[in-house]
Amino acid sequence: MKKKIMRGLKISLAALATIVTVSTMAGCAKETTQTTGNDTITVYSGRAEDLIAPLLEQFTLETGITVEVRYAGSAELAAQILEEGSNVRADVFLSQDAGALGALTEVGAFKKLNADITDLVDAKYRAADNTWVGVSGRSRVLSYNPALVKASQLPKSVFDLADPTWKGRIGIAPSNASFQSFVTAMRVIKGTDATNEWLTAMKSNAVIFEKNGQILDAVENGKISAGLINHYYWYERAAEVGEDKMTSKMTWFEAGDVGNLVNVAGVGVLSEKPEASTFAKWLLGESAQQFFVEKTSEYSLTGLAAKVGLPSLESIQSPAIDLSALAPLAETLELIRSSGLTD
Amino acid sequence: MAVVALVVSASPLVYLYVRLTEFGVDKVFAQVFRGRSIELLANSILLTVAVSISALIIGSFQAWLTVRTSVRGRTALAISSALPLAMPSYVAAYAFSATSSDFKGFWAAWLVLTIGTAPYVYLAVSAALIRSDSATEEVARSLGYSRWLVFKNVTWPTIRPSAMGGAMLSALYTLSDFGAVSILNFDTFTRAIYNAYRSSFDRSAAASLAGILVLITLLILLVEPRLRGRLTQIDSRVRKNTMISLGKFGPVAGIAASIWSFIGLVIPGSSLISWNLVGLSEVDLSEVLRALTNSVGYSIAGGLITAVFGLAISVLTVRHPSKFSGGIEKTVWLTHAVPGIVVALSLVFISNRLVPWLYQTSALVLVAYLILFIPNAMAAMKTPVSQVPKSMDEVAASLGSSRLDNLRRVLIPIAGPGILTGAALVALSILKELPATLMLRETGMETLATRLWSETSVSAFGAAAPYALILVLVAGIPAWLLNRQVRMSIGTGLSEEQRMERE
Repeated sequence: MKKKIMRGLKISLAALATIVTVSTMAGCAKETTQTTGNDTITVYSGRAEDLIAPLLEQFTLETGITVEVRYAGSAELAAQILEEGSNVRADVFLSQDAGALGALTEVGAFKKLNADITDLVDAKYRAADNTWVGVSGRSRVLSYNPALVKASQLPKSVFDLADPTWKGRIGIAPSNASFQSFVTAMRVIKGTDATNEWLTAMKSNAVIFEKNGQILDAVENGKISAGLINHYYWYERAAEVGEDKMTSKMTWFEAGDVGNLVNVAGVGVLSEKPEASTFAKWLLGESAQQFFVEKTSEYSLTGLAAKVGLPSLESIQSPAIDLSALAPLAETLELIRSSGLTD
Repeated sequence: MAVVALVVSASPLVYLYVRLTEFGVDKVFAQVFRGRSIELLANSILLTVAVSISALIIGSFQAWLTVRTSVRGRTALAISSALPLAMPSYVAAYAFSATSSDFKGFWAAWLVLTIGTAPYVYLAVSAALIRSDSATEEVARSLGYSRWLVFKNVTWPTIRPSAMGGAMLSALYTLSDFGAVSILNFDTFTRAIYNAYRSSFDRSAAASLAGILVLITLLILLVEPRLRGRLTQIDSRVRKNTMISLGKFGPVAGIAASIWSFIGLVIPGSSLISWNLVGLSEVDLSEVLRALTNSVGYSIAGGLITAVFGLAISVLTVRHPSKFSGGIEKTVWLTHAVPGIVVALSLVFISNRLVPWLYQTSALVLVAYLILFIPNAMAAMKTPVSQVPKSMDEVAASLGSSRLDNLRRVLIPIAGPGILTGAALVALSILKELPATLMLRETGMETLATRLWSETSVSAFGAAAPYALILVLVAGIPAWLLNRQVRMSIGTGLSEEQRMERE
């Protein structure tokens, strides 16, 4: 019996050894990053590779710091960092939205950022305790077709869209993440009842889409008069068809209206490595900020001029809200669902 | 070895337990018995039942048609019955939803998942039909049984265990699927689990929901033996079986099967090809090649390792049936309905606490594959292993052959095709796997599936299409081999040499 167990163990060990050997061999096919210096940091990136890879190359070129990067969804990476416990591998977490950063702040995963980093960004766009900082911003806007909506008829507030005159003319994408964080902001600022009322009005007024891009298409070809989207979709489309071919225009609501919500992609530092802080600071420097303005048509958070034709970030007057508070979406999802906007 | 597999397989359960106890029982109940969770659970169960029953019927029909009848074009039908296995359900879902914006909801999810999982049943039943002897059926016919009665009383009992095994894979696949249901906009329990991560960043809530999936699996496992019936030990010699001529029903059956194959292969296939016409120009060949190498490496290594452990458990449960061995088998199955992301997070949790040097190495990825896919291997192996007559073992032992020798010279040659089938099934599943690979891989390690993911997360499907196409083509190889393996002995019977060897 004992002999049998021993043999079983031996075979198991052999099999496990095979796992390790084979995987080391497989590791050879891994992309080898050129090591220009000895300093390497690991970045967990919730922002897409297409977007971020060129930026990281530029960082390595300018600073000599090599970057190892893992791409996955922001929420999945946040969960992964939480489960890594005391053995966190990431030096830096780059997130697509403030929510995932807020979740990590809550459990104390981030190191506090130095003032020379946080001072670069308006307090609105960073954590209250300076554990993370926004690096680029995007604004909610009302996209409208000037042939169908006169300038004098433009709504002053997003709540005006609840008026029956908008029936069948306004497009929204209730299953989209940026719409959902906007509704969360509404819930936080205006309360559950007001939000519920607005959502119910939208149920009868709005035309439902899956994606922001589809809303913009419908506004462009006049199927609907206006729609709620993120500002950069206009530029994405303009880059494809040419700015002169664009019919739709963008407008913002009155100062402080929740419909003007500005959300950010941001960064938090998890390790003591000085290079990690260097990276966070570099993202707020000239070259990275310029990259966000030009390549993704986002807002610079350090005051670099926005894209031509886009009103400046200060002039938008987004509502005052702690962006970390937009993290827990569960209640918002229930609200949207119970209003019948999603099934 | 079985014990090692057990310990590894049970690790997600340990993780779920840790998260659940941390969360507190009352909160778990609150989370699970919210109106919405119950509703989603009902959706999941409905979908699972619908998919597994239709996969059972369609897969069995395809197997019977291509193995037992002389219907025209059955080789082509056989290949097209197995091939949908090569297409990841998220790719199929994308491809179908591209044909019409109304393609969503319950029926869409049902169709895509049935197409994707019917091959499990088809392959298992084909193998069983080929191994079984059609002589009994002929005798029953000559004694005046109608075709239906022959099927019910003679054929069905022989294929039932395999068919049920296939249907169970289909059911658990459907329970754990996230990709297809999220693309097709049908809210199931797995979406609730993902939402718990994505919208509330709440690991414990997610874990409590995953715990429910484990309970459902347990339920299925307890019911399944009743449905499965008794394994029949059969003569290991394979004879040339006579083919049933369907007469005027032949064309009808053939056309029905062809239409199904058309829906399952041609529609998504043509979407893929048209995307490629757009996307091929943008693709970086060296990157594709690197991803391909890694994918193939993972799938071969994972396939072999999982097959070895799967065989160990199969032999143990078949040759030494006991409460203990039965328990091992059930535990291994338990985590099969848990979504990949939960298994991945459990390995992140456990490896970082016990074996931090293993974290983010390919070895851990292979361990994840072992947990995720060992049931696939066992489903394919158990019946062949159990059909090796025990008497042969005993004879070999009485002639002084050792246990290991016995395994090598008696069991593996006879059950060999089944073992290979298991390895190929696992290799195939590994090629398609995404969430665990994405979370556990070495930093910078890219496979076809991860490339596909990163391309689709930014742009339209165009740039991702070449990866999808290559993935389907590569996965087509084991799918095709599986089919060939299963069907090798039809028509020709065994080669002279093989026959000599066995007699």
